[in-house]
Amino acid sequence: MADQRHTVALLLEGTYPYVSGGVSSWVHDIIRGLPDFGFTLYHIAAREDLPLEQRYTLPDNVAGLSTVFCAGAPSSPLDARGREKVEAEIRQARKSAEKAGPHSRLLAALRALHLDTPIDRALLQDLATADLDVPTLLYGRQSFDLVCELADTIAPKAPFLDFFWHFRSMHLPVLRLLHSPGPVSDVLHAVSTGYAGLVGAVHSVRSGRPLLLTEHGIYSRERDMELGRVSWLRASPGADVDGVEQLRRFWSHFFVRLSQLTYMQASTIVTLSEVNRKKQLADGAPDAKIRIVPNGVDLDAITPPPSTPDRATKGVLRVGFVGRVVPIKDVITLIKACHVARQSIDLEVDLIGPDSEDPEYANRCRLLVEQLHLQDTVRFVGPRPAKELYAGLDVVVLTSQSEGQPLVILEAYAAGLPVIATDVGACREMIEGRTDEDRRLGPSGIVTHMATPPETAAALVRLARDPQLRQTMGIAGRSRVRDFYRRDRLIDAYREMYGSLAERR
Amino acid sequence: MAGIGWKLQRLIDRDTLAGQLAAYMTGVAVTSAPWLLTTAVLVVLRLTSSGETAAELSIAEQLMTWIYAITLILCAPIQVVASRYAADRLYDLKIEGLAPTLRRILAATLVGFMIVGIILVAVADVNRQLAGLGVGLTVIVGAQWLMLSVGGGLCSPSVVLRAYAIGAPISVVCALAFERGVGLGGSGYMAGFALGQLVALSLLIAGTFRALPAGEDESARIAPAFRTYWMLGAAAFVYHLAIWSDKVAVWLVAGGRAAQVYTTAAAFAWLSVIPAFAWIYVQVETVFYQRYRLFYDGIEGGATLDELRSWSKGIAAEARRIVRGAALIQLLVSGIALAAATTFMHKAMLGDSMVPTFRLLLVGSALLVVTLLGLLLLSYFDRRRDSLIVAIVLLVANLGLTLLAAEAGVSPAFGYVGGCAIGCGLSLLLVRRSLESLLVETFQSQPFR
Repeated sequence: MADQRHTVALLLEGTYPYVSGGVSSWVHDIIRGLPDFGFTLYHIAAREDLPLEQRYTLPDNVAGLSTVFCAGAPSSPLDARGREKVEAEIRQARKSAEKAGPHSRLLAALRALHLDTPIDRALLQDLATADLDVPTLLYGRQSFDLVCELADTIAPKAPFLDFFWHFRSMHLPVLRLLHSPGPVSDVLHAVSTGYAGLVGAVHSVRSGRPLLLTEHGIYSRERDMELGRVSWLRASPGADVDGVEQLRRFWSHFFVRLSQLTYMQASTIVTLSEVNRKKQLADGAPDAKIRIVPNGVDLDAITPPPSTPDRATKGVLRVGFVGRVVPIKDVITLIKACHVARQSIDLEVDLIGPDSEDPEYANRCRLLVEQLHLQDTVRFVGPRPAKELYAGLDVVVLTSQSEGQPLVILEAYAAGLPVIATDVGACREMIEGRTDEDRRLGPSGIVTHMATPPETAAALVRLARDPQLRQTMGIAGRSRVRDFYRRDRLIDAYREMYGSLAERR
Repeated sequence: MAGIGWKLQRLIDRDTLAGQLAAYMTGVAVTSAPWLLTTAVLVVLRLTSSGETAAELSIAEQLMTWIYAITLILCAPIQVVASRYAADRLYDLKIEGLAPTLRRILAATLVGFMIVGIILVAVADVNRQLAGLGVGLTVIVGAQWLMLSVGGGLCSPSVVLRAYAIGAPISVVCALAFERGVGLGGSGYMAGFALGQLVALSLLIAGTFRALPAGEDESARIAPAFRTYWMLGAAAFVYHLAIWSDKVAVWLVAGGRAAQVYTTAAAFAWLSVIPAFAWIYVQVETVFYQRYRLFYDGIEGGATLDELRSWSKGIAAEARRIVRGAALIQLLVSGIALAAATTFMHKAMLGDSMVPTFRLLLVGSALLVVTLLGLLLLSYFDRRRDSLIVAIVLLVANLGLTLLAAEAGVSPAFGYVGGCAIGCGLSLLLVRRSLESLLVETFQSQPFR
């Protein structure tokens, strides 16, 4: 039993307790599973003006929740007086910047971060000084010299105006976070790299507390994928393809470097799957620090429906998607797959989960359903109580573009359902098995390529036409959870890691 | 500004001597024609006035000098802000809001300068006839400055030229006719002069409003522009105060008559800047403006850092070329004027004793035109604070050094030269600093919330 007095600061970026989803559920489970530890939550949110609605009731062992924002609220257009005031502030800031002198260790560290200087403890210590304030970054001469140096080196073909604003947008959160009061605890636990990892690494250096890192998805890869889609990289009318690509790489590389910083400072790096371990190694994580701790579910809490083989007796395949309706889940591909599959089989598809995180994307999905005349087939049912998530379903589909080790799959297995999932994150090893022993259980679903509606449709048709296969896969899935993905093992692993790290300090 | 620049560029693009000449003559017309013609009228009147009413004419002349000085100083901020407002509306393609705004500000100017005129004639303590005419002339001249600043940029230079080409002869003829023909003396002289100027103003108003579109936006307001550009307005006000401060210093130390002679000599000396002024105007409105736009349009259009560096260097090179060119032209003209100083003073009936002072005033004017170029360039880069600093330094230096020189018993023009040299040096220094830091200033001055 760990010492009652041990506290853990969970460093969370855009997740628990304000966003529901896999990572948030995992965090909630860890906290509830370890009542003998005290937790403080350090939540990093995007912008001050965006509303934050708590999606979870915090367990009793959560001592505090602090939220730090990467950016303030955008200001409304200024009138003459407002402009004058801002101009005076800028002049004052520039004067202070001149006085501050040219040698900021933090600025030097940011430079090193971008210019591929080897990441070492000295770099982290420079970041930890936080000897650069926001006005100096925004208006000082030295920071502009750095903008120019980076533009010359990293993005010579990019529109400079865009690069300049990207530089500001990228580093302002860094400064805000480094200047914010750090979490106080025996152990720092970052639940991703990125900004949360940066805070963890820097405060670990400042306080001497050990840092534990758990990566569900690979943060830098997920950001890279998002950057491939965003429109704000193409802000300037004159931007050519090379320039936009250089801007994308500027961001992408920054996130990789943040990950490397966190990997360097973390005492232990927890990953969920072999696939992710390999990605972390490729991004520079030391092999000796990596430990695989798979997600887990409580098998006893989810019981499969007693008459599994007979559920599709009416000839209608009941399909469930459980997750947030957001681009990374690629719900569009699922809808298109349903359109293709409907030409061969009858099916009912429930999209179970919140659609409020990206309303524009959710609207796109709804529009596509209308355009494909799928209103009678695809339903947006919104969030459901946990116990009802899988009731009445024959198969669960996940068409994500990126995943860590989705809890949805494990929960579906626990409910005795086969899964169709894209070959991202740990999905393949969850479906086909990670070790030889695991593989001997047989496949518990079908793996498809990412963004290929015909493949997903073919898998749906196959499962609809073969109830026996569904049953076999469902049994394999439940066995897989029982043998390899148990919640109690997950909790024990973290109890052991927290305890030993807390003792080490 | 851009409109007239385009017209000038078209003339230059003809690539003929006539085209070049036409461009520079247009520059002369826009920058100097009104005061050139007005000065010419005053000189003609001075040369042809009868000796019998010399004393009364001298009072009228002094009053007119003060009217021009005070209206110019007081109208300067309105001129600058109104023309900036017009330029902003043009840039935003919202020209339809200009006519009602201009009407309102013209009305306010007329009323305002009527009050100024009343105060002025009360202080000057002139007879009732001159006082009434003085108030009228103050209103007319104040309104002229306004229309020249806004209208000059909005309509064809020919409107300005035509107004003064018609108004100036009427001023001469009527002043002489009323003074001698009708025998009204100084009052007639002033009434005739004012009549010609009223005609010029009427033509200016008619021409300017004809150039503005019929569609109107009555909701357009200029008041916010005064809040936004108050520093620019203050700089213009202080600058004009500065260029008159040496005259005030002479008046304070040596009295009205001496100040009148000094002011007349200064007005002649100022004529030497016309060629350089025209050069500056044409160059800034054409080549420099194009470089300037290339840089700023490039920023918004997706230019790379290398391109922006190259264009910013282009602007700096262009600014240096214009300063060098203006200095060279001014050197040439000032050299000729210095050599012919004695002749000028004889012709102007100011006497041999004024020759050294006139020579110093020529040097001061040469420095002042470069200072003005500096201020123009600073305003291009929106360095309002720097413009205001230059104007304040110029004012303090000019006034202080002129007073010192006058008190020391040497020509007050020594002080004027010193003040102008300080203003000139400072403006060039600040321009240089602006050009060197153009890139960093452009970007690091952007607010981020």
